[in-house]
This record gives sequence, C-alpha cells and structure tokens, in this order.
Amino acid sequence: MKRFNSILIAAISLAAISASSATRPHYGGTLRVSIQQSAQSFDPSAGDAPGFRSLLQLAYETLVKLDDRGRPQPLLATSWQVEPGNQRWRFHIRNGVIFSDGIPLDASIAAASLRAANPDWKVFALGDLVMIETSVPMVNLVAELALPRNSISRRNQGTLLGTGPFTVAQFDAAKQHLTLQANDQYWAGRPYIDSIEADFGKNDRDQLMLMDLGKSDLVEVAPEDIRRAQAGNRVVLASQPAQLLALFFTHNPRSQDEIQLRNVLALSIDSSALNNVVFQRAGEPSGALLPNWLTGYAFVYPSGVGAGTRPGAPHPVTWTLSCDANDPTARTAADRILLNARDAGITLQISNSDNVDVRLVRIPLPSTDPEPALDELARDLQLPPPVFSDSTIANLYSAENSLLQSHRVLPLIHLRVGLALRSNVHGVKLLSDGSWQIDNVWLSAETP
Amino acid sequence: MGNGFSDVGTVQTQMQTPVYNSPNLEMTRPSLRLRWAWSLCLLFSQLSFATDWQAPIAQLSAKIIAATGPGVVALEINNRSSISSADAEEIRRELVSSLSTSGVRVWQPDQAAATIKLTLSENLREYVWVAEIQAGASDSKVILVSTPRTTFTAAASNAPPITIRSTALVSQPDPILDVAILENNPPRVIVLGRDAVTIQEFANQHWSVIQSLPITSPMPLPRDDRGRIFLRKDRLFDAYLPGLICQSTNSSRLAMSCSPSEDPWPLQTQGISAFFSPTRNFFTGALVPGIGKQNSAPPFYSAAAIPRANYSLWIFAGLDGQVHLLDGINQQVLSRVHWGSDVAAVHPKCRPDSLILADAADSESSDSIQAFEFADREPAPVSPKLNLNGKVTALWSTGGENAVVVYKNSSSGDYEALQLNLDCGH
Repeated sequence: MKRFNSILIAAISLAAISASSATRPHYGGTLRVSIQQSAQSFDPSAGDAPGFRSLLQLAYETLVKLDDRGRPQPLLATSWQVEPGNQRWRFHIRNGVIFSDGIPLDASIAAASLRAANPDWKVFALGDLVMIETSVPMVNLVAELALPRNSISRRNQGTLLGTGPFTVAQFDAAKQHLTLQANDQYWAGRPYIDSIEADFGKNDRDQLMLMDLGKSDLVEVAPEDIRRAQAGNRVVLASQPAQLLALFFTHNPRSQDEIQLRNVLALSIDSSALNNVVFQRAGEPSGALLPNWLTGYAFVYPSGVGAGTRPGAPHPVTWTLSCDANDPTARTAADRILLNARDAGITLQISNSDNVDVRLVRIPLPSTDPEPALDELARDLQLPPPVFSDSTIANLYSAENSLLQSHRVLPLIHLRVGLALRSNVHGVKLLSDGSWQIDNVWLSAETP
Repeated sequence: MGNGFSDVGTVQTQMQTPVYNSPNLEMTRPSLRLRWAWSLCLLFSQLSFATDWQAPIAQLSAKIIAATGPGVVALEINNRSSISSADAEEIRRELVSSLSTSGVRVWQPDQAAATIKLTLSENLREYVWVAEIQAGASDSKVILVSTPRTTFTAAASNAPPITIRSTALVSQPDPILDVAILENNPPRVIVLGRDAVTIQEFANQHWSVIQSLPITSPMPLPRDDRGRIFLRKDRLFDAYLPGLICQSTNSSRLAMSCSPSEDPWPLQTQGISAFFSPTRNFFTGALVPGIGKQNSAPPFYSAAAIPRANYSLWIFAGLDGQVHLLDGINQQVLSRVHWGSDVAAVHPKCRPDSLILADAADSESSDSIQAFEFADREPAPVSPKLNLNGKVTALWSTGGENAVVVYKNSSSGDYEALQLNLDCGH
C-alpha cells in the first residue's frame, strides 16, 4: 500500500505540469484526445465527467474559475463585490472578449446567459456590470459561477457560441467526434496547438489501445488501471481521490426499521477490500460524501469494515441493485457488495431494470470548492439542496451531515482519476478534482 | 449602491496579543541573568507560536467548554496534517492550559467524564481541527475549527568556484517579462509586465509601485509572455512586445504610448536586432544588419554573443531544441548540448571573455541556471547550478556584468525577478 501510495504521490506531483525540459512551448500541431463519456451534443448541459468538462471549458468560459486550491480567480469577470448579507453581487465584465463569431461580450449577454441557467436568480446588466440578486443568502455564489453549467454563451442561428481559447469546428453525434480549432482572437492569447480532435464514448481499454497504436495523445485511465498504465512511452497522472463510489437508494426510507437496515448494509461492506482488490488501491475508503483532502474532516465518518465484526440485519430483506452495464469494474464491485451484504443477512439482486431499490453510482467531484461540490452532488443525487448559512467548516460539516442523515446515499470509496499522455505532450495540468487544464498544451517532437 | 459592497476574496488572519501567566510560586528562582535569558526565549517562542495557533486554540477551547461544561476530560490528539510534531505538542499544551483556566481539567481516561479525540487535519486551504467528544453512552459530538494554511517557500543555492550570485529584485503575482534597473540606492526598477509597465521602488522592506503605465494593444498578445525593456538616452525607455512597441514620452509627468510595430528587437549591445513573430513566442531568425555575411539564423527563442578579437560568436537557442553557433561565416549545430530555451551573455570583471548563462530543467517543476565558457566552440560549465524554485520564464542580458532572470515560484505562484552576476572564487 505504501509503495503504491508513493507511486501515486509521485504521479500527483507530476500532475502539476508535464513539461520535460526548460524549453519554451512550440506552436502548431493537433492534440488527439479520447474520453469515455458519450454525448448527444457538446454543450454545458450534456455531461459532467471530468474529461467532458475539461473539453467544454476550452470553448465555453465562466465569469470566474477555481484554482487548484478552490480559490476563485478572475476569468470573464475581472473583479467582483458583494453586499453585506450575501444576496446582491456585482461582477465587472472583462473588456476585449469576443465570441467565436466576432461579436464582443458585454454585460447584457453575460446576464442573459446566467439568467437562462439560473431562473431563480435575478440577473441584469448595469453598464459593464452584471448584477446578481438571490432570494436567499449565497455565501458560495462566486464558486458556483465557476461550474460549467454557468458558462457564458449565446446562440447564433442555433449554434452555441463561447469565448474560449478554442472554437467548436464540428461535433458529430453519430460518430461521437469533436473538432476544436484554436481561436486566433482569444483574449488571453491564441493557444499553442492548432486543433483538438476528440473521440467520445471510448471505454478505458480502447483508450489505452488507441494510445499504444499512436492514434491518441491523451486518454483517461480507469482508477484500477493507473498502476498498470505506467509503462511505455507515456506519462500517467493521477488526481486526488475525487470520484465518489456510492450506493444510492432510489427512495426515502419508509420506516425506522428500513433506516436500521440501510445502516447495517453500510457497515457490512468491506470498503478496504473493495478498494484493494477491485480498484487496485486507487482510492480511499470513506463514509463521507466529500473527500478528506477537500474538507479535512471526512475521517470522522467510518467506512464499512465488513459484516464479520458488525451485527447483522434484524430480519431478512431483499433489495434490487443496478450498476452501469458498460462499466465492467462496477459489476465486479457490485458482486463483492452482494457477498458482503449476504453475510449481514441482506440479499441484493442485480437487476438491469430502471426501477431498482439501490444503484451503485460513480459521481465525479464537480468542484474544488467544497460548498458547490456538495451542492452539485446533492443535485446529481436529487437530494434536498444543502443550506450554507456561512462559509465556516462547521457549517459545511453540518450540511454534509444532513445529506448523510437522509439515509439515501452510502459512500464507499473516493477514487482517483487517471490521465495518460504521450511523452511529447506538454503543459497538461490535472487538477485535484480530476478535471484537466489543457489550454496551455503544446507538442514537441516525440523522442523514441 | 456601491457603498454597500465589500471586496471579496482576501482572507485575513486575526492576530491576537499573547497573554502571559502570572509567576508560579512553586518554581525555584534561577539567577537574574538566567531568568532574563529564559524570559527572552520564552517571549520569542510565544510570539511565533501565538501568531499561528492561538486564535484556533481559543476558539476550540471555547467550543469544548460549551459542550462539556466544567469537569474532568481525557484528551487524545492525533496529527494527520502537515503541522510539525513540535507544534502539535505545543498545541496540546496550550489547549490543556486554555481548558484548565475555564474549569476543564485534562486527566486520565478512566477518571474522565468525557473523552475528547482531537484530530489535527487539513484541507486545500485550511488547517481543520476536529474534536470528537464522547460523554458516557450518548452519541459523540463533533466540533470543528479551522485556520488558514500558511505557504512555505524554499530555495537552494550552490557554492564557488565561480558562483552565480542572485539578488532579488521584484516579485508579483502577474507575469514579469523584463526588468530594467534604474537606480541602486534606493533600488528603483522598471518592470515590463503583460498589461503594464510599472516603476517600482524598494523602501521600508518592500517594493511599491510608484507609477503604472498601462499597455494598450489592439490585438491580444500571444501566450508565453515575452518582451524586452531598454533604457534610452533621449527618453526613459523603449518596451518591445510581440507586434507592439511602447515608448516613454518626455513630458512633465512620465507617460507612455504604444503602437503596433514589427520593428526588430535589439538582441544585445552589439547593434544587432532580430525580428520577433507578432503572434508567436520566438524570433523569426531574420537579423538586422546581420552577423558578418549571415543575415539570418534558424528561428530562435534567445541569443547571446561572445565578442572575440576579430568577430563575435553568436549562440542561438533554436526552436528545434538545438544550440546553433554563428560567427559571421559558418553555422554550426551543437547536437550534444541540451540547454533550455534561454541563454544570456554576461562579462564578469574577473574573466577575459564573456560567459553564457543557460537554463535547464532540473525537474518537472524547477529549472536551474548555469554559467558556461566557450574556450573554442564547445561550452564547458564553469559554475555550479543556481537552482530555482520554479520554471524560468525569462532570461535576458542587461549588458556588461549582469543578467535578469524571471521564474515562476512553484510554491507561491508569484513571478520573481533576480539580478544575476558572477562571483569569481571568493
């Protein structure tokens, strides 16, 4: 375990930047990318997996972005202020930004875009300011504006346009292929590479094969393959444990007895064995929704230790369980969960139906700021939105505790996100939450 | 409406004045001199400790007291953060002391009414202290306090014979493209940034911007910010940026005007200039007026000249990653030399010839600078490496004995400019 951790730590330290020498970036070339997520459209509402999200950010920008410590940094807004009470905000819009059709960005366009994404907010333009008013205090509004769904965009003849360093040249939903072209007029300077060709819907094995065949320069690596992938003429990066593997109950508990059964199930699952065997130690067992590196308190929530040391179910129960049919590792994990549950007197039956009692889900971490991350996680799981009265750690803990007390979700493991690059790809940054920054990527001549 | 808004984004750490206990009568009384020395040590240790941990200890102590009330508790501390074990021990001592002043006594678990399991943890931005309080058979209660994490910087340097001596110039969060030194006493510099030229002065232990002249460009500047600033005799400075030249104007108050320009940039004080691509990060290779009979070099990132008796030997760091030599007649590629993209010439007083400073990658996150001599056509290292805690973003000769290097500090994220010169064996 320690050895693997040290490898991962080394990989994570590499994740800062993959430049290999003190040479300046080269211009030109095409970056070929493969990701697992498939999509019917290329827009901010079409997906939230780290790879898809990372490509989106190349075309569609937000008012602010979060750095690797979750601190808001200016992007399309140069500065912002808030009134006491956290209900009225104003953002100064950057000058000199143009959409890919040459139309300049102004406050009214930005306000319209945010209004469409957030019908509950009152958003309007005032000169070069975007004003946002909310009906309830929102201490984390700035970080929330960094989420892809708050990208600033506008439609021109049905085409969604953004202001990013790349423009969408083509998205072919049938072929699941995206072409991005460098934006010569980008306000922060044209990207180094000329274009990006991305293939969607490729499973993990196919992605590594494409890289080995020299047909892909940057691919996702499944957590359980991170160690194996560190071979050959490629660099493998690993994020912090960022992806939540959890059991999600599709309905609220109907009785105290059902709450007790769910607690027994939670404690019966040997998360450490699941992590060690199925996921090849690429994660951290956890009973918390958010990982410890993001909150600092996740360890207070115990992870399951197996049924052998815990009391069993007070009476027999049978639940149906589903997992992603296209995810063979999830199926393997589900099989182990079945065995653990059976030892505690709970029968889980795998089902492909949509109407099941429990789902095994993998949820990407949506942000490096814990509050919007928890908020989005609740949204993904269709749980009541957490309430943050202030931005203290105690308040965050209280909000997460409330979500866990719903007994709808049983966290199991936080998994790392892996990324493999060919050795001639430079300037890639893998953030703690598993998303990539590739706007500064450049290609050198490949060394044999 | 504007008055109601407050700026967001800065985190302020509240400092508290340390408080001292009254003398303990049971202590033996050492000599007056020893007591003074001990007091001074204690004072300094208390001051440094108080700055970091006193506020969260007070906060945690208050929350524990509110949860347990006066009485006897057991305390177990587990450190899973980057806080040193010495600090962790000090935190324990101070917390016990703080609790005892409010009637909560820390004692053995078997005699305690409650057990406090305190974990010193951390997240991306803060130290997070988690106290899990277990009183009897009731559910445990969790108390959390946090305090901002501090950042740490580290740098290393090497020893003689020829040593690259670095003197810190300015440091700022925004990119520094070049620095020109106006005066040494008091230190005053002109900093070329991506968005502005600033005049900065060192006073009261820090640099202050005394004037900022915004750069206006009709086109976005390319990535990998590059630019040069030169002091002039007829005006204060000329600043060159890709596709742009900015010149100071001679008026009652210093001003600057910028205009699109593809004029060549001066390379060194040798009277040779080179065209810089207006949309990229390199020199195209076209030279004005040329080196001897050679009017062009391969496209390059940087160049440096070593004057010889009858000619100058020019060294180019090419786009192809190779080092190219031009002497006015011949062109040569040094295929065995693997430098970075930045070279600069310096002429220390102790050496007959100029030396070349070149950067190289030490790791994925740090570069180094080393000095080389060209006795013939092959470079030989003459100094230990100067290790930098970050990647080099600019290295320019300032003419004569000095060069300026700018690197992005990998710990702080700031751009730091250093003046470099060479110490010869002493």
